[in-house]
Amino acid sequence: MMKGIFLKLLSLVFLAGFFGFIAKATGMNTHQSFSITILSASILGTLLFWDFRLSFAFLGTSVLLVSKTIDLEHMIKFSSLEVILFLVGMMVLIGLLKDSGVFAWIVSLILRIRRLTARKFVFYICVISALLACTVDEVTSIVFMVAAILEICDYFEVEPTPFIIISVLATNIGSAATVLGNPIGILIASKSGLTFEDFIVKAFPLAAVCLFITIVILFFWYRKPMKKLEENIKKSGANEFLIKLISVPPERNLKIGLGIFGIVLFFISIHHRLEIFWGLEPNTVLLIVPLVASGCVMIWKWQKAREYIEKDVEWWTLLFFLLLFIQAGALKYTGATVFIAEKIVNSVGNNPNVLVGTILWISTIGSSVLDNVVLVAAFIPVIQGFYALNVTVQPLWWALLFGGCLGGNITMVGSTANIVAIGILEKDKDIRMTFFKWFWVGLTVGLITTCVVWVALVFLPFYK
Amino acid sequence: MKTKEIMTTKVMSVKPDDFAGEALSRLFRLKISGLPVIDEKGKLVGMFTEKEILTKVLPSYVEKVGIFRYEENPKAIKQKVIALASLKVKDIMRKDVVVVDEDTTLCEAAHLMLSQKVRRLPVLNASKEIVGIVARVDVVKALFEEYK
Repeated sequence: MMKGIFLKLLSLVFLAGFFGFIAKATGMNTHQSFSITILSASILGTLLFWDFRLSFAFLGTSVLLVSKTIDLEHMIKFSSLEVILFLVGMMVLIGLLKDSGVFAWIVSLILRIRRLTARKFVFYICVISALLACTVDEVTSIVFMVAAILEICDYFEVEPTPFIIISVLATNIGSAATVLGNPIGILIASKSGLTFEDFIVKAFPLAAVCLFITIVILFFWYRKPMKKLEENIKKSGANEFLIKLISVPPERNLKIGLGIFGIVLFFISIHHRLEIFWGLEPNTVLLIVPLVASGCVMIWKWQKAREYIEKDVEWWTLLFFLLLFIQAGALKYTGATVFIAEKIVNSVGNNPNVLVGTILWISTIGSSVLDNVVLVAAFIPVIQGFYALNVTVQPLWWALLFGGCLGGNITMVGSTANIVAIGILEKDKDIRMTFFKWFWVGLTVGLITTCVVWVALVFLPFYK
Repeated sequence: MKTKEIMTTKVMSVKPDDFAGEALSRLFRLKISGLPVIDEKGKLVGMFTEKEILTKVLPSYVEKVGIFRYEENPKAIKQKVIALASLKVKDIMRKDVVVVDEDTTLCEAAHLMLSQKVRRLPVLNASKEIVGIVARVDVVKALFEEYK
C-alpha cells in the first residue's frame, strides 16, 4: 500500500514538474511555468489523492505566495468570492428546502405516478432528474431521485442499477441547462458575463435536445430491464402501496419553503433586467439573490441558522474551489494564459469553429476523469485570453459548459452525482458498480450528446 | 472515582465471525443494546449495537432526504431483515470504538459518552485487552452516589 502511495506521489511530482518544464521550454518565463507546475500538481492531486485534494490546494496556494508568483491582493481578487458566496447562499436555501420536506415531497410525487409503465417510468425519471438538477443542483437532486428509484424498484422487484444510471445520465445533462445546475454554470456566468436568460435561451434548449436523444438511446439500451419492469408492473397491479408509503408533515413549512424557492428562482430569472434597471454591474443581482434569501431564511429559522451554515454548507468543497480559483488566477496574473491562448491560435488558427471543437472535446474528455470545476477553472483564464486576440468567445463558453457537464457521463467517476448515486447503491443494495457496466452506455450517451452540441455550436448562428 | 471501580467485569461479547442473527438474539436475551466484538486473540475489534442494525436496515438516504414520515413499511425492509440474519457480525459492527482505560475518571467517561455520542465504553488494560465495560447508567449512578 505504501509503495502504491509512493508511486502515485512520484508520478504527481514528475508530471507536474514535466508540465512546468514543457512550459519553460516553449518560451514561458519562470513565474509562468511555475504557476503551471502548481496548478498541474493540484489537478493531479485531485486525480490521484482525492481525499487529500484540499491539502494540495492549501499547499499549492501557499507556495505560489511564498515564491511571489502571485501577491496577496491578486490572490483575493482571483479567489472568486462572489461565486463562493453564491454557492453558500444556495446551500443554505437547499438546507431549508430539505428541512421543510420539499425534497421528500418530490420523492412522494414520483412514487405517486399513476398507471405506471416502464417507458413512462424511464421518461419521467429522465425529465424529473434533468429538471431537478437544473433548479437545485446535480448533487442534491440525485439523492432524491435515487431514493425514489430504489423504492419503486424494490416494490416491483427489479434490479435498480440501470434506472439509477439512467437518472444520473439525465442529471448530468440537466445540470448544463441553467446557471444553478452545476458549480461550473455560475463560474462561467460570473467570468463571462452570460446571464440566467442567456442560459435559458441558449443552454436550456440544447440540453433539452441532448436529453431527448439520450432518452431514445436509453429506451433502446435498457430495453431488457424495461421489459422486466413492465412484466412486474403488470403482475403487481396498481402501485397503491407506493402512493401512501411516505407523507410530508407539516404542510405549512412545505408551502413556505416552496414559496421562498419560487421567489428566488423568479428574481434569478430576471436578474439581468433588474441590473439594467438599477444600473448595477452584470450579474450583481444574480449573485446577491441567494444571499438575500438565505439571510431572510436565517432570520425566520434563527434557531437553526448556525446549523444551516455549519452543516448544510459544504465548506470542504467550497474551500477547495476557492483555492483552485486562485491557482488558476495565478496563470492569468503571470500572463501564462495569454501565452497559451496565443499558442492555441497559432497552432489551430483563430477560426472559432476549430476552437469550439478543441475546447468542447478537451473539456468533455477531461471532465470524464477529472472534477469538472478543476478543468473549467483552469480553462476560464485561457478563454479570457482569447478576448485580446479578437476571437469570437461566446461559443467557447458554451463549449466549456457542455463539455464539462456531458463529459461527466462517460465514466462512473466523471461527476459528483455519479459518485453519490453509486455510493448509495453500494451501501443500500450491496451492488458494486463496475467500470464497464457504466462505461459503454456512458460513452455512447457522452459522445452522441457532445457531437450534437458540437454541431449546434458550429452551425447555428444563434450561438455565435 | 475511576472507571475500574464502577465497570462491569463480566464482559459479554460476540465474535466477528458470528452470525448477526445469533448476536442479535444474544442482545435480546441479555436485554442490552450493544455488545463488544472480540476476536480470537482477545482484541476488541468493534461494537455490535442496535444502532448499527437500524442503520443497516433503513435506507442510507433517509437522513439526506429531509423531513418525511413513513406511512407504511417499505418492502425492502423485510428483505433486509431476512438478509441481516445471514450476515456476519464483522459486516455490521462499528469499527471505530471509543475506549477508556481503567484509570479514566468518571467525568472523562461522561465527557466521552456525551461528545462521542456513545452509550457504553469498553475498558482496556495496558496490553489493550478488554477488562470491563462502563455503561451510561453506571456513570450516572456512581456520580450521584459519590456526590449526594
